[in-house]
Amino acid sequence: MMIKNKTIAIITNNSVTKNILNQKLDSLYNALYFSKVHFALDYIYNSLPDLIILDTIEHDSISLSIVKDIKKDPIFAQIPIIYIVPLDYVLTQDDFAIFDDYIRYDYLEDEILPLTTLCLNRAERVVETNPLSRLPGNITIAKQIQNRLDRQEVFAVAYTDLDFFKPYNDKYGFSRGDEVLKMLGRLILNTVRQWQPQDSFVGHIGGDDFVFICSVDKVEGLAQEIIQTFRKIVPTFYDSEDRFKGYIDSIDREGVRKKFPIMGLSIGIATNQHRSFTHYGEIAEVASEMKKYAKVSGGDCYKIDKRKG
Amino acid sequence: MIDTKNLRAQIEKIDTLPTIPSVLKKLLSVIEDPKVSLNDIGSFISNDPVLTSRVIKVVNSPIYGFPGRISSVNQALILLGLNVVKGMLLGVSVFEAMQKTMAGLWEHSIGCAVTARIIATKKGIGDVEEVSVAGILHDIGKVALGLKFQEEYKALIKMSVDKGKLLMDSERELFFVTHADTGAWIGNRWNFPKNLLEIIEYHHKPQLSKNFAIQTAIIHIADILVRAKGFGFAGDYLIPTINPIAWQTLNLKDDEIKDILMEMEDSLTESSSFSLDDD
Repeated sequence: MMIKNKTIAIITNNSVTKNILNQKLDSLYNALYFSKVHFALDYIYNSLPDLIILDTIEHDSISLSIVKDIKKDPIFAQIPIIYIVPLDYVLTQDDFAIFDDYIRYDYLEDEILPLTTLCLNRAERVVETNPLSRLPGNITIAKQIQNRLDRQEVFAVAYTDLDFFKPYNDKYGFSRGDEVLKMLGRLILNTVRQWQPQDSFVGHIGGDDFVFICSVDKVEGLAQEIIQTFRKIVPTFYDSEDRFKGYIDSIDREGVRKKFPIMGLSIGIATNQHRSFTHYGEIAEVASEMKKYAKVSGGDCYKIDKRKG
Repeated sequence: MIDTKNLRAQIEKIDTLPTIPSVLKKLLSVIEDPKVSLNDIGSFISNDPVLTSRVIKVVNSPIYGFPGRISSVNQALILLGLNVVKGMLLGVSVFEAMQKTMAGLWEHSIGCAVTARIIATKKGIGDVEEVSVAGILHDIGKVALGLKFQEEYKALIKMSVDKGKLLMDSERELFFVTHADTGAWIGNRWNFPKNLLEIIEYHHKPQLSKNFAIQTAIIHIADILVRAKGFGFAGDYLIPTINPIAWQTLNLKDDEIKDILMEMEDSLTESSSFSLDDD
């Protein structure tokens, strides 16, 4: 049996619509039916469905203003809403603000399934992308690691972290800091793809934390190359006098003015070659531990976990 | 006479420059090779002023989020990735007219990059690759003028040769500005890093370079040495005098100059075997 991992809240009190959706969607998705918008609210606010389908039968101003309110909260604004409308219906400015897609009754039977699938996939791509680097975020990272563990593949996970990023941000400001992060994202992505075009993965946890997954035999060379390339590129992100000096004056976490070196990269690596993990959190924790070890060893280096059992 | 404001607007409208036919032929074989690595593509691009300008333009575009930061071809390639680079190369077009002149300019640019690299290494200047990129790009303004004013520019080159003038001086008579200005305009429009802009703009007036005086002096002298060696064709047959301030800035000793000239001999013979003549 297929695992239904997407949930759709469908709001309609039209039995014909309900029948069609039932036939087309229920075998692939977790579809829940509500006859009125306010009956669906409790469910929506408690369970965060992946998609809402709304029938125009509910096209009264109260229902619409409820739907509009759903879109006002950032957590729920990302849920795509498909609007089912009659053949002669003309979408209004209000509709454009609320809905993400629409379909006419006459095409429901043929088109609702592909429309739903496209809508769900699009939403997943948008939500799960870090706005800065456009790399996949935490949900995808967790899934990528967990799927490999479930398939009992042997692989390596590397967590990267910038050394002396905070003083850089403090001195040059956040937008300059963002430039460095965008550069680092491209650098990791393309270096990983160059070394291993197939079955590798790069994600962005947030801030200056990135993750990559690759095969065990490549991970050390790859980590080394990423560190070296970063070391070569990053000086151009400093003003020329700082670059020339080789350090910047900034303030540390205790508020003390200090000299900070040019940024470097610390990478922590964990693999399931010599020990087994069942949950992605376990292997992530080991990688993160190795990353801290790299940092206390002075940074600008990688550390790999070689413990057994 | 062409009004400067209008000229600048026309130059800044240029989105991509064409390369020369012989490069395009090799380019296709590079892209179509499924085993091609970023390193192979990198050395190929580094030997072409137009392909280099294109890569530097794309990596410094605001889309990637760090405009004006990258002035090295190899760094640009790793940040863009193989797919973007291949796609970008597929869109390259070719100079229909003035093939011979342009092939000579390509040789001159490669010669300047090679020589600049030799001088920078000799002087222990940090970023040799950046200097080499500046060398390949220093005359990019000539490519822009040649593209926008094909007939006029061809006539200008012929006149400079016939009358024994510097192309730069002929440019000033017709356009009020020189290729150094048009190169800086286009580089500025394409978000080139400040060091490249300054070197391109001042390679004939190195005394005006404030922030990158050493690099500008290197390109200024490399440009002249390559002409003196008779390698390539920069649009005239004269050898401009070396600016005394640039000379002082580099402070080259006699034996250093000897070494540089000898290394040039070897490297230029090597790069001329990489023939640009279109068969």
